[in-house]
Amino acid sequence: MKGIGELTAATVPSGTVPPPVPGFVVSSFSPLVAAAAERCLIARHKNPPGTEDIGERTAVVVVSGSGDARMAEHVAHMVDDGARIGPLLFFQAVPNSVAGHVAARWGLRGPVVCLCPTGDPKAEGLAQARLLIDDGDADEVLVVLVEQTGAGDSAHALLVNEGDLP
Amino acid sequence: MTEPPLRTGITGLAAVSALGRGAQAQLAGVLAGAAAFAPVRRFDVGGRKVTTAATLADTGSLADELAGVIWDACAGLSAGERAETPLLLGIHGHPDAGRSAAATTAGFATDLAARTGLAGVAKVYTCACVSGSTAVADAAASIRAGRSGRVVVAAGYLVESDQFALFDAGRALAKDGAARPFSSGRSGLLLGDAVSAVVLEPVGAQDVLAEVAGWGRAGDAHHVVRPDPGGRGMARAIGAALRRAGIGPDEVGYVNANASGADGDSAEATALRKALGTERIPVSSTKSTHGHGLEGSGLLEMVVTVLAVRAGKLPVNAGYLGADPACDLDLILDAPREAASPYALTVNAAFGGANTALLVKAVA
Repeated sequence: MKGIGELTAATVPSGTVPPPVPGFVVSSFSPLVAAAAERCLIARHKNPPGTEDIGERTAVVVVSGSGDARMAEHVAHMVDDGARIGPLLFFQAVPNSVAGHVAARWGLRGPVVCLCPTGDPKAEGLAQARLLIDDGDADEVLVVLVEQTGAGDSAHALLVNEGDLP
Repeated sequence: MTEPPLRTGITGLAAVSALGRGAQAQLAGVLAGAAAFAPVRRFDVGGRKVTTAATLADTGSLADELAGVIWDACAGLSAGERAETPLLLGIHGHPDAGRSAAATTAGFATDLAARTGLAGVAKVYTCACVSGSTAVADAAASIRAGRSGRVVVAAGYLVESDQFALFDAGRALAKDGAARPFSSGRSGLLLGDAVSAVVLEPVGAQDVLAEVAGWGRAGDAHHVVRPDPGGRGMARAIGAALRRAGIGPDEVGYVNANASGADGDSAEATALRKALGTERIPVSSTKSTHGHGLEGSGLLEMVVTVLAVRAGKLPVNAGYLGADPACDLDLILDAPREAASPYALTVNAAFGGANTALLVKAVA
């Protein structure tokens, strides 16, 4: 069984207002993922967008216990109030959407996986990365940990490959 | 001497959809080709442009329905065996998320594993319409590598007000009350209940219904929600599934397609032609009868595919009005066909350009 190696990492700490992402409204969830991913990928590949050979076998794994909590609350309120729901909200109904945004921007053509951790988010994200690399569907994996909590919203991204860490 | 990789067997399965409760109801429904779409009564659809979905009457909560299919799929296991078997779960999230801060998805999964006597939660997949299929692929990979024994994979979605409202707002739903995969005149998808569970374990441990012979996952890197019109991501996922199984396209006897009746069906047709070459393999999408079960769709469609190839009958692509030149495939229309091979693919795609392909092999 292969280990894992950390190539780059980046954090968007709580209290940061991430740059807006076109098409993603209401919630910080997707902009946080995009910002953390961008910092991490720039550290590895310099300026976006990547070329095809950068990410042909790079997977995107989004790990979040909260999920897009602000979005879920917003939609629930809109539905309960009988309010009109804008079409943009449809596109961000699932965490896959922003993973697809990052993948399209950087040409990352590996698997797209979103997980809700029941234990340590980083450990679960790295375990998923290790599985995808070991199974052969990816050589590198961008793991983005993102949480929306009462203490604040934050994201942390790691780009990993096969390495020596257990 | 290196041991050969372990093969993954499906030793138990169960499902609930608008076609009914239990495996035989699913098989009968997809073979009959009778779509289960009807006006939604479960919640208020006032103000929605579309008011149709495939919902089963008298369903319980999502937790109750998931627990039910897990119990049914695990019928061949003792309490002691269940207690050693972890759960991989595919869901959108806690059904009360957005209305209760205490409603956590992890808590939902943990409670589900506890009430069904399983050994806790291995992973929770929230990757939209490839949640269940990605869980199966990961489980099969872990079993093949000898890192996992028996697992239960469950996935579920019951049509509810919030996702229905979002899909309606996105103009994704069919306006004419029918899902028409690959057809001319198709106008969108229709949502449907999809709750299912399977037991996966190394072949040899129990009587096997079918094998998960191959699997693949790949991304489009094309758009937030639209599939790559060139079908490259899905084609790579299918190619990976065939490679892992060690078979060529000529041995595949059926494809249960992802097609939902949306514009993107043509991208899948391109992917199938790209991956399968000149082979004219029978294709249908069972979403035409049970609807699009979102996070529950991939697993339900694998269950249906297994049931079909075991029965030797291939499901009908219902709702078909006529040929779309962009979807040139050997579609199964009008009546089920005889299965000519034990191998069948079930293909899924999701927002974010996520694609999965599962290759199952029926075992007599």
